[in-house]
Amino acid sequence: MNNIIFLILRRMRAPLIAVIVSFAVAVVGMTLMPGFDAEGNPHHLTLFEAFYIISYTATTIGFGEVPHPFSTQQRLWMTLSIYMTVIPWFYAIGKIISLFQDVGLRVAVTTSRFAKEVEALSEPFYIVCGYGETGSLLVRALDSKHMRVVVVEILQDRVNELELEDYQYDMPALCADVQLPDVMIKAGVRHPMCAGVAALTNDDHANLAVAIAVKLIRPTLMVLGRAENAETAANMASFGTDHIINPYTLFGEHLAMEVHALGTYLLHEWLTSVPGESLPSPAWPPTGRWVVCGYGRFGKSVVENLEREHITTTIVEADPKLTGCENCIIGSGTESRTLEEAGIRDAVGIVAGTDNDINNLSIVMTAREMNPELFVVIRKNKRYNEPLFEHFNADITMQPSDIIAHECLAHMISPLLAMFLALARNQTNAWANQMISHLVGMVGENVPETWSITIDPHHAPAVDNLLSWGKAVKLDSLTHDPSNRDIGLDLVPLLLLRENKPLLQPELDTKLMHGDQILFCGTPSAKAALPLILSNHKALSYIMDGKEIADGLIWRWMSSKFKH
Amino acid sequence: MNLEKVIFGFFIVLAMTLNFGFFIGDIDNPAHHHVYELYAAIIVNLIATVLKFGDRTQIGAVHLATSLVADLQLITAAVLFAAVSGTPSELTMINHVVSLSGGALLANIISVILLMAETISLRR
Repeated sequence: MNNIIFLILRRMRAPLIAVIVSFAVAVVGMTLMPGFDAEGNPHHLTLFEAFYIISYTATTIGFGEVPHPFSTQQRLWMTLSIYMTVIPWFYAIGKIISLFQDVGLRVAVTTSRFAKEVEALSEPFYIVCGYGETGSLLVRALDSKHMRVVVVEILQDRVNELELEDYQYDMPALCADVQLPDVMIKAGVRHPMCAGVAALTNDDHANLAVAIAVKLIRPTLMVLGRAENAETAANMASFGTDHIINPYTLFGEHLAMEVHALGTYLLHEWLTSVPGESLPSPAWPPTGRWVVCGYGRFGKSVVENLEREHITTTIVEADPKLTGCENCIIGSGTESRTLEEAGIRDAVGIVAGTDNDINNLSIVMTAREMNPELFVVIRKNKRYNEPLFEHFNADITMQPSDIIAHECLAHMISPLLAMFLALARNQTNAWANQMISHLVGMVGENVPETWSITIDPHHAPAVDNLLSWGKAVKLDSLTHDPSNRDIGLDLVPLLLLRENKPLLQPELDTKLMHGDQILFCGTPSAKAALPLILSNHKALSYIMDGKEIADGLIWRWMSSKFKH
Repeated sequence: MNLEKVIFGFFIVLAMTLNFGFFIGDIDNPAHHHVYELYAAIIVNLIATVLKFGDRTQIGAVHLATSLVADLQLITAAVLFAAVSGTPSELTMINHVVSLSGGALLANIISVILLMAETISLRR
């Protein structure tokens, strides 16, 4: 802010001096001109009177000739003064106005305001770089999960969009290039409350720059980097970016998961969705021969993952040389001849995975006409084509931005959630189905809240106290309503992390220990009730023994009297 | 030689000398204190102030502060002078006008000392 004031002062030097000098000359001259008073005696204006007259003349107010009508000499000087003072006056005013419209100055003002807002944040927050389709999805989800976000975006239009959105929390947003380290520092990389950075711009190089800058400035900070090219991903991995997100690889993995373990896939989708949304209905990708149109980054990932699930694929690609595709049918897939050649009539599924939405739609429409039983997977590239895709109603619609946002959420909500999901992938489908039915029974069909707690003096003083007094606290105690212990809270412990060893779906009679971290999933009301149990040892004791503890000096004394 | 430095030094020293010129003389004798001298002192002081705008250094900040003090006292003196001149209380009020300008003179002297200190510390 200081810099801005100095900048204004510095630029105002010339106009101000012009005003002062012109006024000074005009005022002195006015007092020197001979005049007459009402009786016709010679009279000179005093300095004050002259200053008064020049002031109202220069500012074009013009009260007329006071205190007496002017003599010719005075009028002559006045004429000169008007031109001499009015012009510098307007020059100064024009300069002030142009200063406030100066782009450099406005950028300086908004940047310093942004830096102040970030500095004032007192809760953990994430920095999201890039407020495009992915960024806006992620920001909306984080906001609805009560997490604070700082946004840096290069396009002013998108920043304006963000300002118009109806978010719960104030969201500091800056229009700047994230590749400048100074911008990242202003966005709060050095802030003690900064929990992590998500580099989600659509420019791999910018994401790489962010990841490097953050890892150099604060190596311990979590960085999520979006990388669509294998080289960028490898580069990011080389200096320790925590999570590298490649939407195409991820979608391939998800599709494979859907083919062989639908339950696991659903669990994954469900826990990383925005709370309040309803559970997406599952699709059952059939096993058999699939036709994959487009062998780019997306197509490669799909083919690789499908083949791992022992599904045979026929590839249709327009430019086999560029994509390095051997043994494929040449063509774009939009005309029936190519699809016929690929054997669409006896295939069970088709993947339209080119980077052109209209082509993708054309492929699947032609294919479905030829074989109405086809299972259709379609890649959606641009969000504005959403209405078209809704009309087509494919079995699975893949949108990179959704996938990236979900993946980021899994890491941002809690490191435990990402751990849980990784463990869940190694479980059987039956286990996942059982888990889902358990969750649905507890929290209903809507997307639940997911959160983690730590048993330590800071986050759970009540539990910590009781543990220090040698009492055993079971996990079960945390799952009852603090106002009526017979009613259970609608939450499920998903994971217990003890001494870096994760325990999936811990039993309710597990005894808690210092330093335990627990991942819960449940309704918003259960999430709201838990802090009371964790921090109020009376509530916790009540749940454990069903007795209200008498507190206060007299009650303590009385209860000890009656006990003996 | 730098023309900007010449102008800067000129105005700061002139502000002090004009101020001194107005201040000197019997404190209660209006004949010893000419209003034009006060006027000139104010104008030169204002210009000196504007010239000091936008210097971010520590010494620049103190420079600006001394000038602002001098402006404040001189303008107060001028307002007082304009209010009392020609009235019977002029003879008593002239004391206050001159003492105010005396205060401004001190500020201007500090300003000149700063200028000298700055010049001496410059080894070129």
